[in-house]
Amino acid sequence: MPSFTSSSDNAYPAVKTSFFDPEHVVRPVPDRPWRAILLGAVIATIALMTGWEIYWRGKEFVAGDFKNTAGLWTEQRNKAVGDATVFIGSSRMLFDIDLDIWEELTGERPIQLSLEGTSPRIFLTDLANDDAFHGTVVVGLMAPLFFTTDGGLRAEVLNYRKDETPSQRWDHQLSLNLERYFAFTDEQTRPKRQMSMAPLPLRDGMKPRFEPRKLEIMTADRNTEMWSRLINDEVFREEAKAQWEIGLKLFAPPPNPDGSPPAPMPDFVIDEVIGSVQADIDKIRARGGDVAFARLPYGGGFTPAEDFGFPRERFWDRLLSVTNSVGVTWHDHEELQGYDLPEWSHLSAREAERYTRAFVPIFTAQMEKAKAEGAP
Amino acid sequence: MLFNSLTFVVFFIIVVALHNAPFFSWRIKKFNLLIASYLFYAAWNPPFVILLWLSTLVDWNAAKWIHSATNETRRRLFLLLSLATNLGILGFFKYGGFLLENFQALMTAIGLDYQPAEWGIILPIGISFYTFQTMAYSLDVYLRRAAPAKSLLDFSLFVTFFPQLVAGPIVRPSQLIPQFAEPKKATPPQFYWGLGLITIGLFEKIVLADSFLAPAVDAAFGASGGLATLDAWTGVLAFSGQIFFDFSGYSTIAIGAALCLGFALPNNFRFPYAAIGFSDFWRRWHISLSTWLRDYLYIPIGGNKKGPVRTYINLSITMLLGGLWHGASWTFVIWGGLHGLYLAGERLLREFTPKQDWFSGWPFKFAMALVTYFLVNITWVFFRAESFSDAMLMLSSMFGLAKDAQKVLYLNEIIPAMLVIGGMVLTHWGMRSTTKEALIAKTPTWAIAAVWTFMLFMLLITQGSDSAFIYFQF
Repeated sequence: MPSFTSSSDNAYPAVKTSFFDPEHVVRPVPDRPWRAILLGAVIATIALMTGWEIYWRGKEFVAGDFKNTAGLWTEQRNKAVGDATVFIGSSRMLFDIDLDIWEELTGERPIQLSLEGTSPRIFLTDLANDDAFHGTVVVGLMAPLFFTTDGGLRAEVLNYRKDETPSQRWDHQLSLNLERYFAFTDEQTRPKRQMSMAPLPLRDGMKPRFEPRKLEIMTADRNTEMWSRLINDEVFREEAKAQWEIGLKLFAPPPNPDGSPPAPMPDFVIDEVIGSVQADIDKIRARGGDVAFARLPYGGGFTPAEDFGFPRERFWDRLLSVTNSVGVTWHDHEELQGYDLPEWSHLSAREAERYTRAFVPIFTAQMEKAKAEGAP
Repeated sequence: MLFNSLTFVVFFIIVVALHNAPFFSWRIKKFNLLIASYLFYAAWNPPFVILLWLSTLVDWNAAKWIHSATNETRRRLFLLLSLATNLGILGFFKYGGFLLENFQALMTAIGLDYQPAEWGIILPIGISFYTFQTMAYSLDVYLRRAAPAKSLLDFSLFVTFFPQLVAGPIVRPSQLIPQFAEPKKATPPQFYWGLGLITIGLFEKIVLADSFLAPAVDAAFGASGGLATLDAWTGVLAFSGQIFFDFSGYSTIAIGAALCLGFALPNNFRFPYAAIGFSDFWRRWHISLSTWLRDYLYIPIGGNKKGPVRTYINLSITMLLGGLWHGASWTFVIWGGLHGLYLAGERLLREFTPKQDWFSGWPFKFAMALVTYFLVNITWVFFRAESFSDAMLMLSSMFGLAKDAQKVLYLNEIIPAMLVIGGMVLTHWGMRSTTKEALIAKTPTWAIAAVWTFMLFMLLITQGSDSAFIYFQF
C-alpha cells in the first residue's frame, strides 16, 4: 500500500491500488548531450533575433515605441485625478495634439486617454462618475464615432482597469522595459498579424478585409505621433489609405432596400446622445471641473462621410449649444487649416506640433472668455 | 499568473534559484515553494488564496479523523465533511449561477415569475482542479488506499504546488506527497529536459494555439448566422487543434517546470487524435481527469461489475458529470453525454462484431482513427459554442444545411489553420505508439538543437500573448 509518508505504519491491510501508476511519476530523460544542445540553440536564437531586430529596424520600426495596450491606458487613467487636464477622443486626438507642445505652452502636461476607433462618450461617463476627478476634459470629437456608438474598438479598457490583476500589472511593467530597447516587440511584427495582413486572394463573394496599418509611435505616457514610414514610404501610405477606403465602406450605413441613401439620423437620437453627454458634463461641472470639445482636421475619403453624413448644424453646433460648452473646430479658424494629412485622417508628426502651437492659443482664449462670461 | 507571461519568467528564475541555493535546508526550500505557489495563485486574485487554505485545512483534518475513527459511521461523517466542503466551494462558485438560472427557467415554465438578484460571483481559476485533487486525498484515506500524510507542510504543498495548481495534471496524493519527503533537486539532464518541455509547451500554446488556430476559431464561432461548409469545418477542426495545443501545452509546461525543480508529474496527453475508438481516446486525452473519474466515480458506483445495463448507466453518469466538470452549462453536459454515448456504442460494437484479421492492419486502424477524430470534432462543437442553438447552427453548417450560409474566413485564416491541423493529425498518428522522450533519444543532436532554436525563435517573435489558457475557466 502506498503511503503518503516515507514510513508505512498504518493499521490497514494492503489493498489493490489500481489508481497508482508508478510509470507516470518517473519521468525518463532522453540521454542526449543537453548542455551542448541548449548552448547551440541559445546562440542560434540570439543570432536569429539579432537579424530579426535589424530587419524590422530597416522597416522603420524603432525601440521606445510603446504598445498601445490596456495596461498603458490604465496607467494614465489612474493619474487622471484632481484638477488634471485630460484628453479623451479617438485616434485624431491621439495624433494631432502633441503633449510636449501643450505642456510648453500651458505649463501643464495633459493626460492622454484617447483610443483609436472608440467613442469618447464612455470615457466621459467614466470620469463623470469618478469623484476623485474635478479637472478639465478636452473631448476630441469625430462625429461618426461620437454620435453612433457609446463603445467601439477599445471599449474593453474600462473593464480591464476594473479587473486588472497584480500579474497583469507586473507584466505591463516588464513589457515596458523590453519595448524601451527593442523594435521587434511591436505588435505588427508578430507572425499572427503578418499572416492576417498577407495579400492573399479573396474568396468568391467576400469583401476585402479591414486591416488598418500601423500608423503611430507612442511614448510611455501615450504622447503619440504619426509613424515616419507613412511619410517616407509611398507604397505603405497608399496601403493605409486603401484600408481607410475599405473601412469607410464597411462602416457606412447600408442603403435602403430600394437603393436610395439611408435616412439621416433622426433628431430624437441626436438629442438622446447629447442628453447623456449633458448629464456627464453636469456631474463634472458640479465638482468644479469643465468639459470642452475639439474637432480635428480630416480630408480625402473622410470629408464626404463626415461633412454630409454629420452636418455641423445638426450635430456639432447643437452639442455645443445644448451643453453650453467651448468647442474649437478646424473649420472655423484659418490657422487650423491647410495641414498635411498623409493618409486623410491624421496629421504627420511635424504638422501635429505646428497644429498644437496654433490650437492651444485659440482653445485657451475661448476657455478664458467662457469663464469671464460666467459660463458654468 | 500565466505561464505565457513575462512575470512567470521572472518568478520561475527566482524560484529555481531559491530551490538550488546551498544555504537553505529542505524544509525551508519547501516553505519557499509553498509561498511561491500562493504568490502564483494570488497574482490573479489575492483573496481567493483563502479557498486554498480552507480546502487544505479541511482535508488535512478530515483525513486524519477518518484514519483514526473507530467506527464506520464516524469515518463516513468525516468523509462527508471533506466532500461537502470541496463540492460546496465548487458548487457555490462554479454552479451557483447555473443552478439559479435553471431554477428561474423552471419557475417560468410552471408560470411563476421569479426574478433572482444578479449572481455576479467570480469563478476562481483552477477551482475544479484543486478541489478534485484534495478530494482524492480524503477519498484515498477513506477507501484505505493510503495513510494520511504526516506533514502539513507536505500536504499543503501537494494542494498548492504551482506548476499544476490551476490546470492540472490532477495529481494523486500518492504521486506527489512522497516526493516531498526527501530533498529534491533536478540533475543537469532533468533540468535541461525540463526547459525543453517548457519550450515545447509554450510553443504549443503561444504559436500554434493562439497564433495559427485561434483566429479561425474566433471568426467561425463568433459569426452570427449559418456558415459555408468550408468555414464551419475549418472553425471546428481549428478548435480541435486549439483546445489540444492549449491544454496539452499547459500540461507540458507544468511537467517541465516541476522537472526543473526535481519533481515528476504524470503525463496528461498521449497524442489523442491518433486514438482508435473512444476508450482509447480517453486513455490519451486529459488522462489525469479520466483516471480520476474512473477511480473515484465510475468504479465506486459499480463500474462494469454489475451487469451490462448498469455498466452503460455508470458510463453515462460518469461522462455526463465529466462534462459538467468542465463548465456550468448544458452544452458541456451534452459534450459529456455524447462521449458517454460513443463509449457505450463502442462497447456494443466490440461485443457484437466478430473479429476479422484485417482489423489489425494499419489501413483499418488509420480509418478508424479518422472516424474517431471526426466524431470527436462533433463533440467539440458543443464544447466551444456559446449555446445549444449556436451549436446546432454550427452542426447544420458543417453538413451544408444552414440557411443563408456565409463565408467568414479569409484564406489568411484557413491556410495556417489547415496546415497546423494536417501536421497535428499526421504527427499524432506517427507518434501513436511512442513518446516524445523515445523520439528524442534517437534524433540526431543537430536536429534537436535546430528544432529547439526554431521553437525559441518563434516564441520570441510571437512574444507571448495576453490570452489565458482555455482550461483556466474549468
